[in-house]
Amino acid sequence: MTRLSLPLHHALMLCATIALLFAAIVYAVYAANLIAFPYDYDQGEGFEVQDTALLSQFKLPYLDTETYPFYSSNYPPLFHMLAAPFVWVFGPAYWYGRLLGFAASLLIAAVIAHAVYRDGQQNRWIALLAGLAFLSSNFVYHIGPLFRQHIAMVAFETLAVVMLARAFPRGDKRGITLALFFLLCAGYTKQLAAITALAAIIWMFLRGPRRGLICTAGFGLAGGLVFLWLTLASGGHWWTQAIVANVNDFLYDQAVGLFRLWFGLHGFLLVPATLLVMVELYADRLSIYSIWFVATAGLGGAAAGTWGAGDSYLVTSIAAACILSGVFFSKMLANAWTPSRILQVLPLARIASMSLLLVPALYLGYARATLKMPTIGEFAALAELLGIERNVAFHTRPDEPDFYDSATWTAGGYARIGYLLTEADHAAGAQIVARIQQSDKPALSEDAGFSIAAGRDVVTNPTQLRNLHLAGQFAGDELTRMIEDQAFGLIILRAQFFPPHILEAMGQAYVHNETLFMNGFDYLLLFPRPGYESRFAS
Amino acid sequence: MDAESAGITKRQLGMILLVGGIVGFCGILAVDIVDVGREGDIGPAQTVALFAMALAALVGLTLLPLGDAPA
Repeated sequence: MTRLSLPLHHALMLCATIALLFAAIVYAVYAANLIAFPYDYDQGEGFEVQDTALLSQFKLPYLDTETYPFYSSNYPPLFHMLAAPFVWVFGPAYWYGRLLGFAASLLIAAVIAHAVYRDGQQNRWIALLAGLAFLSSNFVYHIGPLFRQHIAMVAFETLAVVMLARAFPRGDKRGITLALFFLLCAGYTKQLAAITALAAIIWMFLRGPRRGLICTAGFGLAGGLVFLWLTLASGGHWWTQAIVANVNDFLYDQAVGLFRLWFGLHGFLLVPATLLVMVELYADRLSIYSIWFVATAGLGGAAAGTWGAGDSYLVTSIAAACILSGVFFSKMLANAWTPSRILQVLPLARIASMSLLLVPALYLGYARATLKMPTIGEFAALAELLGIERNVAFHTRPDEPDFYDSATWTAGGYARIGYLLTEADHAAGAQIVARIQQSDKPALSEDAGFSIAAGRDVVTNPTQLRNLHLAGQFAGDELTRMIEDQAFGLIILRAQFFPPHILEAMGQAYVHNETLFMNGFDYLLLFPRPGYESRFAS
Repeated sequence: MDAESAGITKRQLGMILLVGGIVGFCGILAVDIVDVGREGDIGPAQTVALFAMALAALVGLTLLPLGDAPA
């Protein structure tokens, strides 16, 4: 059996490696395409550019949204601080934030591979596949090369967990301190890292209650002091803008849809990961990876169902699943289980023999389940060979991008992005910037990139105004007055996230004259309505 | 390493999950009793939370026979 299986195992492992390497190549092509695009691709990126620009001037981005420019951030500052030195050299731009995000995703893949190699059975090939599997995920593909802080948070989380897994059981104080520092960095990159922090605290408590509590107290104190400093330094706006404004409605259908999609795409790894959790729960000791996986899948999945959230909220659970499944496969192949009465009843030797074919087959199945690729250009011939056709459609138009995504675009909360941008997208962006420059007045744009490119003030952050409005923290009298007074040369709408009374004022004082199509969205250009008399005119 | 031997046992973890699951289950049900102004029955999110609490209690129950093995 083994004599026949081993060459077949190697052949299948090679196929799985090629399939996952292909996914990594598609990911790199997409990242390169996106890095060259100077405007928003994913809604909200431009506001992260603006946060970075403010922090590069040593200004906190947690501001009073009742006064001009009505702008505030709702994210912690660390990712933008890391990108701030680029502003000093290159000015505000998207490319370096996207490059940092892409680099962070590669770092996560490397850390996953290291963890699987170290905590599995030093199986280099499985470690490589586990790292590549992370990059192959449709959810990672979406969020990785964006100017968003999310993937940097996952990078800090992964570093922290992998480091803590080794340092805490050994009582390595330096290692524990560094791991908790990375965890703190994750939290001040994005608030969602609280789930990973909770998982780490629970695991430390299980492994050594007294030491776990001491570490938790130190971690809590350090985190609390940073929180206090941000609150005081921002005059209380940090609390309002980053905490209060981040409480959004829970959309049950979105949560369920994303859970189904998460399982449908990643099931080939999620099932083995869950099996290892079961083995550790009943026949071994629970690793930090198991608790991390359960917490981020459950709570991260629930958080994915809130308004404004999406598939990226499950990326941390995918990192955990890649590690767990890699360790599970390594142990299965080596038949290297901790002696246990429960496992003794299983035909472990036969399972090890079967896993020679099963493991690469699962990675191959995963590569197919997560397949996404352009269907034109250099990819056209391969797409035809694989029988792949474009299968997604834009929001507002019947046009279909030349892109295949195994996830389709049917689940609510799943970002409808991933296709390559074209010259037409670049041209449309330049046209919008030209429209802004036709007036000396600032523009009120739902995407900040146009104002940045035109050298104008970035005015407002519409989702933030919406959230503040729903939380009873935004009146918007001054903004309404400026709209009524036609103080803006142009209003650019994409998703119309502004609070209803702001949209109403826009509809009265401005007129929709032009629509430009860019990166899959219709951008509505509203110009001052001729002859309009402001209610505020005296 | 002291932490290796002084960790929580399977039985202790089982008790934590069992008690936590039961308390959580009752707490979620109590939301409707305490907050009498709420409209409608148990919602879908509440149902999922109840299921999670019941699962935690069940897992806790199955861990109890595993005794002093480290969790």
